[in-house]
Amino acid sequence: MADTTKRVVIEIFDPPMCCPSGVCGPTIDPALLDIHEAILKLKKEHDGQLGIERYLLSQQPAKFMQQPEVIGRLKAVGIPALPITVVNGRLVKERAYPSYTELQTWIAEG
Amino acid sequence: METQYLFFSGKGGVGKTTMACATAVREAEKGRKTLIITTDPASNLADVFEQTIGHHVAPIAGVPNLWAMEIDPDKATEEYRDRVLAPFRAAMPADILQVLEEQFRSPCTTELAAFDRFMDFMDRDEFEVVIFDTAPTGHTIRLLELPVDWSKHIADSAKGSGQTCLGPVQAIQDSKAKYDRAIALLGNPRHTRFIFVLQPEQTAIFETERSAVELRRLGIESQELIVNGILPTEVCEQPFFRKRYEMQQRHLAEIRQRFAVPLRQMALRDTEVKGVAHLRDVGRELDGQPRVAAATGASETAEVRLSVRQPESGELLDLLTPRNGHGKAIFFTGKGGVGKTSVSCITAVHLARQGFKTLLLTTDPAAHIGQVLDTPVGDRPAPLPGLPTLWTAKIDAKQATEEYKARILEQARGRRSAEMLLALREELESPCTEEMAAFDKFTAYLDGDDYEIVVFDTAPTGHTLRLLELPFDYSQQVELLVTTTQEGGALRAETRSRFDRIIARLKDPAWSVFAFVVYPESTPVVEAHRASQDLAAAGIPTQLVVANQIIPAGQATNGFFRKRRAMQAKYLAEIERRFHVPVAMLPLMDSEIRGLAAVDRAAALFFSEPVLDDRGVVAATA
Repeated sequence: MADTTKRVVIEIFDPPMCCPSGVCGPTIDPALLDIHEAILKLKKEHDGQLGIERYLLSQQPAKFMQQPEVIGRLKAVGIPALPITVVNGRLVKERAYPSYTELQTWIAEG
Repeated sequence: METQYLFFSGKGGVGKTTMACATAVREAEKGRKTLIITTDPASNLADVFEQTIGHHVAPIAGVPNLWAMEIDPDKATEEYRDRVLAPFRAAMPADILQVLEEQFRSPCTTELAAFDRFMDFMDRDEFEVVIFDTAPTGHTIRLLELPVDWSKHIADSAKGSGQTCLGPVQAIQDSKAKYDRAIALLGNPRHTRFIFVLQPEQTAIFETERSAVELRRLGIESQELIVNGILPTEVCEQPFFRKRYEMQQRHLAEIRQRFAVPLRQMALRDTEVKGVAHLRDVGRELDGQPRVAAATGASETAEVRLSVRQPESGELLDLLTPRNGHGKAIFFTGKGGVGKTSVSCITAVHLARQGFKTLLLTTDPAAHIGQVLDTPVGDRPAPLPGLPTLWTAKIDAKQATEEYKARILEQARGRRSAEMLLALREELESPCTEEMAAFDKFTAYLDGDDYEIVVFDTAPTGHTLRLLELPFDYSQQVELLVTTTQEGGALRAETRSRFDRIIARLKDPAWSVFAFVVYPESTPVVEAHRASQDLAAAGIPTQLVVANQIIPAGQATNGFFRKRRAMQAKYLAEIERRFHVPVAMLPLMDSEIRGLAAVDRAAALFFSEPVLDDRGVVAATA
């Protein structure tokens, strides 16, 4: 059973783009809208116990630096490794955004 | 010591730099420690003072109490970028660093960086007077709009996830206090005066009004005008210049009537204003001292031959008409006020008369082509009454933005949650959206095949480049689309091929003709050349230069106008030296071009052969 008092922190390291919503580019990427929506939904459902942060390489490079695993993947694979998802410090996904279901699972696992 | 800040604003070629420099000399000679700064990359500040200045505070020889500085926005961006990237150079892999550096190449960052430096000077108090020879009107507004946007932006992002469109939040956060102080200073009439420089002509009136309103909206109330380039009555004995004199006086009267702010007049000179002595004279006149009468000595200057390579008979028409069975896109580009509108209208009308289905498109929100053609211009193409092969339309950025937003939200509705729609709506408020939407429209016209010829009366130089640089940026962005869905994949492929088509058209000289319109004067020529080089770097050649307002030899009957014609000859040679393409010429006219008949007459002059010979072609009269 999931420990509901334990706070879960999810960090998503985005690929290079002008803005995370995706509306500022020439084509609106449905994947960006999907992840944005998933995050909104989850924040509502797990109010107080969930922290989800997104970091843009161009705007918060320091955050990338603070995660040796992320830098490691970037060095090994390059930019195609992004987006990378980290849950409570553990790298759980790379190359694509997680779905709402995947995120739910990781939150349940604590 | 309470520092006084003076901002000189006005489009290129009106005499902004001269007025700013003359004011600077005057203030310094009144005993005030003065600094004059320019943020204009094509500034001729060094030229006007006849000495080198550079990217640091330099004393002006011959004027104790006066210093000058040229803020190079490109250099400022580099310094800013290096400062921000320094901590990451060691740890990040090379390809990542490359991407980071790319992100700093956006126009957003350049403005931010230049502004950052510019703010430094509003923070110090070692000078009693600081004069900003700011960049031309539209650009100035953006430069000055930044503090207002930012403060709000920073506050918002500090609350939220920390994302802003404008670069690392950290770098901005540190400067928030600085920017708040800047805003306070800008809005305080005790500290800040805003001086518009304009010429007594029709387009200037509208643009100045627009800028004045924008500034008032930003809280800047203290505004004044200098109307420059006024023909001295004593040199206008001849009917041609007498008519121009009267036209100017009418506009001057209208300006006085429309703008209830302090106004000063400055006379046109017979040569360029250079050097401290000359600046002193101008400064005195600015301060209200009586103007020295202009010399008219007819025998003083010999008649000048204008020898520059003009297009051969039929060459101009050949260049501008479709080839190889496909269409043609003609871009008239150049700083505001050089006559792009007239030249675009003349060209579009003439080509339409040859039987080509032509679209004349403007991105100018004021759509001055409408005034020249005496017809309303909307955002849907419509044929011109009296010439059905000519269609006109404008790309209204605000309108395009609303349509774009509505379309996005409509697509999302029903597929996305209520919170998501709210979030989307908020995201769409970003300034990037307007740029995207306008660009979207622009590329649609460029991609279409509804017209044989499309003539773009594009926005002034800097803006044009951004509009054109976008395809190259975007095609890269498209590559970065993360999506792995079918839908996303299809979207990406479609967008990709559209951009590839557009880029191919822009780079193909048989498809696209880029023509610069200039005055034969320092600032317009230098600016145009810079822009031309930027285009060349992007693989786009310049194929034509149009030199406007050439004084017909037959009208230069006194020393004053012969000297001015000599100055024009000098700059025509400069144009040839810099551009290496034929130079088409449009003569100075004694009245503004208004209505189809007038446009036809001007077109006859422009496309005839030879266009303008040494005897001069007498201007069309109304």
